[in-house]
Amino acid sequence: MARPGRMWIVSGAMTTHRTTDDLVVLDHVDKWFGQLHVLKDVDLRIRRGEVVVVIGPSGSGKSTLCRAINRLEPIDKGTITLDGKPLPEEGKELAALRAEVGMVFQSFNLFAHKTILENVTLGPIKVRGHKKDAAEKRARELLDRVGVGHQAEKYPAQLSGGQQQRVAIARALAMEPKVMLFDEPTSALDPEMISEVLEVMVDLAKQGMTMVVVTHEMGFARTAGDRVVFMADGAIVEEATPEQFFTNPQSDRAKDFLGKILKH
Amino acid sequence: MDDVTSEFDLVLQAFWLTIQLAALSGVVSLVLGTVLAAMRVGPVAPFRLAATTYVNVVRNTPLLIVFVFVFVAFPNLGLLVGTPFLLKGVVAVSLYTAPFVCEAIRAGINAVPLGQAEAARAIGLTFGQTMGNVVLPQAFRAAVPPLASVLIAMTKNTSIAAVFGLMEATARMRYFTNNSADDTVIFLVFALGYIIIVETLSAGAWGLERRWRVAR
Amino acid sequence: MRHARFRMAAAAVLLAGGLAACGDAGNDDAEGVDVEVAENAADEFDDGTRMKELAEDGNIVIGVKFDQPGIGFKGATDDAPVGFDPEIGKILAADLGIAAEDITWKETISDNREPFLESGEVDLVIASYSITDERREVVGQAGPYYVTGQQLLVRSDSDIDSLDDVKGTEVCSVTGSTSLENIEAEGARPRGFDTYSECVDQVLNGTVDAMTTDGAILLGYAAENADQLKVVVEPFSEERYGVGYSLEAPEMCQWIVDTITEAQEDGAWDEAFQATLGQSGVETPEPPAMDECPA
Repeated sequence: MARPGRMWIVSGAMTTHRTTDDLVVLDHVDKWFGQLHVLKDVDLRIRRGEVVVVIGPSGSGKSTLCRAINRLEPIDKGTITLDGKPLPEEGKELAALRAEVGMVFQSFNLFAHKTILENVTLGPIKVRGHKKDAAEKRARELLDRVGVGHQAEKYPAQLSGGQQQRVAIARALAMEPKVMLFDEPTSALDPEMISEVLEVMVDLAKQGMTMVVVTHEMGFARTAGDRVVFMADGAIVEEATPEQFFTNPQSDRAKDFLGKILKH
Repeated sequence: MDDVTSEFDLVLQAFWLTIQLAALSGVVSLVLGTVLAAMRVGPVAPFRLAATTYVNVVRNTPLLIVFVFVFVAFPNLGLLVGTPFLLKGVVAVSLYTAPFVCEAIRAGINAVPLGQAEAARAIGLTFGQTMGNVVLPQAFRAAVPPLASVLIAMTKNTSIAAVFGLMEATARMRYFTNNSADDTVIFLVFALGYIIIVETLSAGAWGLERRWRVAR
Repeated sequence: MRHARFRMAAAAVLLAGGLAACGDAGNDDAEGVDVEVAENAADEFDDGTRMKELAEDGNIVIGVKFDQPGIGFKGATDDAPVGFDPEIGKILAADLGIAAEDITWKETISDNREPFLESGEVDLVIASYSITDERREVVGQAGPYYVTGQQLLVRSDSDIDSLDDVKGTEVCSVTGSTSLENIEAEGARPRGFDTYSECVDQVLNGTVDAMTTDGAILLGYAAENADQLKVVVEPFSEERYGVGYSLEAPEMCQWIVDTITEAQEDGAWDEAFQATLGQSGVETPEPPAMDECPA
């Protein structure tokens, strides 16, 4: 609080980045798990309103990249800035920053002891300080929007996987985030439930939400993605528009990968 | 023998003190144990070390020695001299029980999937809020059966206070047995009293367990 | 002072481990009195009596207190307990032709005196064992061989000097003891402890206002801490110590009464008292007259 000097630097940085309209910037990011080099000198700029789809073989570091953006995984080298602010150390400031970044997990991670409605209102009430009534009204709107409004009083375990994942999206949206991170949101779902989740995501993309989506759903990448980032062995190998990437991949790794997944 | 029946008010008074001692110690142990558990799983290294050390030292110390420290050694050093006996009893029982509460809750915390805490942090909850709103409520639910065992053991442990100045049930029992030739009836009456208290506790725990059952 | 505190704390910890270590109380005259042992004692008793059996065995098991200075006390490193009760035991054993070193001393606490006698674990209990009607229903009690009374031990600067002063104060003794019951009846708040030495600690460190039990025991502690403690109040109860025996051997009563009466007359009783309780400075009292044995 009492550090005007630092504040000035931060706001200075903010202005610089604002001009380029980059919302998330990863600059020379490295991370190791012990000996394993899982992120190798990653540079990535995500513009406001852009939908970036991250694909790649398993173990390529794409999930780690996604989780690094809200510092669920701390990085070892480089910087990550969000709307011009570098990610702070673990603490209140980081918590405040995470509130600006919505996250959807592969395994939903709905709070098992809370109702669907409580899952969605917890953040707005505890973090944003909203009144319970207002938070519930807003939560019901969001639940209606993702198609599970009638389930509000139930507990997570009473819902199907697809329904739970849509609740998880509503929970993230309730914080009115600047950017949404999706970490393989459909990988744990039965096939018949995948589309109901993807539809919600496509809607979000259309409404101009900035999104980073780690997925194996190539259909989604084609219809909703502005840009595809292809990762292999912890590094970004190729970046292109979906059209370019799927019709004319440049690297051997990408060709190989696409050959394997599109064959069947 | 006729003592126990003709002076039954003394028996009731004694069990009332036992109940006070157990209830107050239970509350203090639960609070202290929860704080210790939060310290042990928290991100602050010195807290982790302090809590771990405390748990290991006290858990490996016999209860009688904890009582001797609180009732004899500390007063000899001029500490706790004016403290009421009931309070000293609560201090001794709670200091001893808190590590067991801590470990039961820590086991409960470990039973909560990591994703729950990650999801909580991802919506911007601080460490304290994550613990308080997401992890601990679920940990408590998972910890109800082991916590019930801890609290039952604690209730019976209050009987040590009998030889540290508190006229609770066990002390009163010895008052009766000292005067009487036939101790069997006296033992039975007092054992029954403890059984009633412990069964009430077990029933409460069972009810909570049913009400709080979390489906995954 | 600092040293004394350290010693008390250390002793307290040892006590918790079940060791009755409490300073040097009662150890000054560890040898006690030499008692003359009767020869060919077995011939003196009728066949079928317990006395005859014991005399022929040449061994007797006697239950005494190990934690009461002056009455019956055994330090952690002592071979045998010392005190007035063991002296009485030696006098009785000698009459059976059993020497002091052939006596097996067994520690009895207040709670196990009757069970020990009933199960034959001990042959006699001489352990500050007050004679009461309730006890006489399950065990035999011959005596009294000594009469004492309950008093109070307080800090030297204490205002308590009459029984009326104890109302509302905190008074400690051993958990479950008659003394604690008596002082509760006087309006004090009873504080029971496991041992007398823990109770004395509570008085010394100011946690409780007084300690209460039989005057003889209190005098022992007052003598140890003459500048810090004093015994006050005229004895307000009468505790008549008896020798406990099994009701299965009622013939022992008359033998106990006769043997102790003889000791009172020939001075052995006086000697035993002076070597033990008399060390605390009290005058040797007149030996009490003993009850008739039940027919």
